[in-house]
Amino acid sequence: MVNLRCFQPPTRLLAGVILWCLLGLAPALSAAEVEAMLDRESVPAGNGAMLTLRISGGRAQPPQMPVVENLIFQQGGQSQEMRIVNGITSVSVAYSYVVGSHIPGDYQIPPIKVKVDGEEIQTQPLRLKVLDSAAGQPPAGMPGTDAGDETDGGERRFGFLTVEFADNNRTHAYVGEIAPVRIRAWIPADSRANLRSGIQPEAKGFTLHNVSDRPQQTEEMRDGKRYLVVTWFGGISATRAGKYPASLSVDATVAVRDTNALKPPARRRGGFFDQMFEDMNVPMIQKDVTLKSEDQEIEVRPLPKEGRPAGFTGAVGDFKFDGVEIPAAWTTGEPQQVRARLSGSGNFALMKAPELTPPDAWKSYPGIDEFTAGDNASFSGAKVFQFSAVPRKSGSRETSLQFSYFDPAAGEYRTIVSPAHGITVTGDDLAEDQIPEEPAPVTPPKKEGGLVAQRQEISDRASLVPLVSRPAFIPLLGAGGSLALLGLMIAGVRHRLADPQRLALAAVEKAVEESLANAGQCAAAGNVAGFFAAARLAIQHRLGRMWNQPALAITLAEVQGRMPHESPVARFFIEADRHAYSPTSGAGIAPEWKSLLNEAMTSLKPSDP
Amino acid sequence: MIRLAAILICLAAPGVFAGSAESFAAANRDFESGDHAKAAAAYEKILATEGPRASVYYNLGNSYQKLGQYGPAILAYERARLITPRDPDLKANLALARKAAAAFEEPRIHPRLDAALLFLSRNEWSWLVAGASLVFGGSILAGCVFRPSSRNVRRAWIAAAAVALFAVITGSTALHLRRDEARRGVILTDSADVRLSPFASAESLGTPGPGRTVYLRERQGDFHYIEVPSSNLKGWLSSRDVAPVMPDDPASAGIPAANNPSPSGTGG
Repeated sequence: MVNLRCFQPPTRLLAGVILWCLLGLAPALSAAEVEAMLDRESVPAGNGAMLTLRISGGRAQPPQMPVVENLIFQQGGQSQEMRIVNGITSVSVAYSYVVGSHIPGDYQIPPIKVKVDGEEIQTQPLRLKVLDSAAGQPPAGMPGTDAGDETDGGERRFGFLTVEFADNNRTHAYVGEIAPVRIRAWIPADSRANLRSGIQPEAKGFTLHNVSDRPQQTEEMRDGKRYLVVTWFGGISATRAGKYPASLSVDATVAVRDTNALKPPARRRGGFFDQMFEDMNVPMIQKDVTLKSEDQEIEVRPLPKEGRPAGFTGAVGDFKFDGVEIPAAWTTGEPQQVRARLSGSGNFALMKAPELTPPDAWKSYPGIDEFTAGDNASFSGAKVFQFSAVPRKSGSRETSLQFSYFDPAAGEYRTIVSPAHGITVTGDDLAEDQIPEEPAPVTPPKKEGGLVAQRQEISDRASLVPLVSRPAFIPLLGAGGSLALLGLMIAGVRHRLADPQRLALAAVEKAVEESLANAGQCAAAGNVAGFFAAARLAIQHRLGRMWNQPALAITLAEVQGRMPHESPVARFFIEADRHAYSPTSGAGIAPEWKSLLNEAMTSLKPSDP
Repeated sequence: MIRLAAILICLAAPGVFAGSAESFAAANRDFESGDHAKAAAAYEKILATEGPRASVYYNLGNSYQKLGQYGPAILAYERARLITPRDPDLKANLALARKAAAAFEEPRIHPRLDAALLFLSRNEWSWLVAGASLVFGGSILAGCVFRPSSRNVRRAWIAAAAVALFAVITGSTALHLRRDEARRGVILTDSADVRLSPFASAESLGTPGPGRTVYLRERQGDFHYIEVPSSNLKGWLSSRDVAPVMPDDPASAGIPAANNPSPSGTGG
């Protein structure tokens, strides 16, 4: 037998040597690399950007920062990282510096030279833009200044929302208009943010809808500070005039630098750059906030009464005729189809069919219309109108369609007229009461001003309460379950009844009963030999089932071999053999024999399979 | 006695049905003549006396929409949708009302899943579950009692039981996912103020606007605690300004009179 212990020390030693080789040689196998990166492209004057210099693949001497006029480098710290990937070990060292200036301008950081294992490696040049912070100090409450943070003390330093009309020239919306708006979340650029919801309207007076699913992300300057700006587009509409707070909100998790956390007051009164560089290494604080736009209002004006055209039906937007179909030949009193397509942008839900000119020469009827959206938000699109009209006056003339709407951008009503069509109307001029009331239906289904027509047949009575909310539901489910359960129970009973072990046991017991009955009859008749033969057969049946062998093949020798000699079964077999080989006559059945038989049968009582 | 009652009911039913059909036709004539307020009142009366009927709700919704009362119109359409969920005309008119009221349905996160879930009404899903449960139980019982010896019959029996079980599971899942619908309500009025507490003098948190679907939670006195979907707006709303899509009392088929803005004018 081999003693494995004898081999363990050399195995460990070998493994250690291999590991040492890997760890030692792996850095040599990978080429040395030096990488420099800035965490942002620009900083306000007086603030700093974080420059990270990462050296990997060898032993490096501490790097020397280049000298750039008006640009200050301050070492922040050093960290080391070792990674083992697929058995290859790599070690990298990262040096961090805060870089900044108090003079605005574009700065170029020349390549940083580093000696790695004696070899000089240089980084790529970097650019840093220092912005003029004095020109745009953020107002109190805006993020970015200590003063603002302290005076405001709220969550606005984590960001805020602004709501503006998409058209920069607009300052208000009109009743009935769906005015496109731009909603922007302003989050400090030096923070980390995760938006947890979409724009949520508080529904105070106006409705916000069709908000874009995928907001745009940009970086923008506002009041001298750089922000990450997330922009959504949507539309607002209001049914009542008034000034409503733009109570929109979005849930976000924002982590900002806790500029107040680690700065003792004495230090804060120090030099300009002392403060600047302290700011760079302060911890981040993270908070779940709701960015709001509480301080803004949206003005909704009523549609002016002045200059409202007679044919104005409530359309608000900017529309034009795209196509008009007017039959050339008409007969007074007989309706024909007119078709017009209007396209543009605005609230198409409020658009109604244009009217034929001159209005007093025509009688028009409600028709059908179909809207096709031109964009995802349904701000633009086209609507096709098809309706019946009846000419009242005969003669040849030019006619056209006209449509009036309110242009919210211009703040005035406009009436557009389609190109003139020459038509000829035959027949006699009709008086007002001669106009047919119901023209032929346009196309099925009939519509009533955009609505699909009324039901003419009353339907059967139904319940508004679904079955699941009614008391009958549970009993119905229970009935189904009960049926299944009943079926399974029946299957179980059948399976039990057809069990071969159970059937075999029943057969044995039946044979035992018959034998015992036979023994009883022999006992009553005083037939001792018959009693013992029948009783032994009953015991043999029980033993045969227990020992899984033919009952008649079980002898006294086998019983004595498998059971104690004092057991009632063995004793009964001995008694039975004695009477079988030396029969006695006329003595009758002794009570102790019956007792012994009962004792033997009891000791062999069958158990359920 | 029971026989006599049954005979009386059988004799009276055609007369009742004929009466409601006549009232319905008269209401339709009012609607077509442009008297939408009168038509709406007539439809309401039919609902109050005859119980819920999809066609009456549909026409009632049209009447209210013509009157510019989009809250009651949307409520009527929503109730009709409980009975006839796949009616394209109903969907079209409901969409028109929602658009006019700027009360859009909450955005669907999984449009395909929602389309499948909404294909059947909750009532139809419940009947599917109950029926499939009975079929499943019956097929198990029949299979165990008769024990088909033919292989094809046995396969058909197993397939029927499996399909029924699948229907039970699918329907139960659909009912579970749509369990909140039982608490849906519709804002009826323009000036429905959601308040901070269940008092008329409490601070207003916002006005959801007519036709907006909300979820009704607990009730205190005359106020419901509501949640507006896709919004942070939660608070107490007067019961006069909101009505449940599925009425608490199954007998109250009509839009409650107190909630129903009195129809005025003939509308467009």
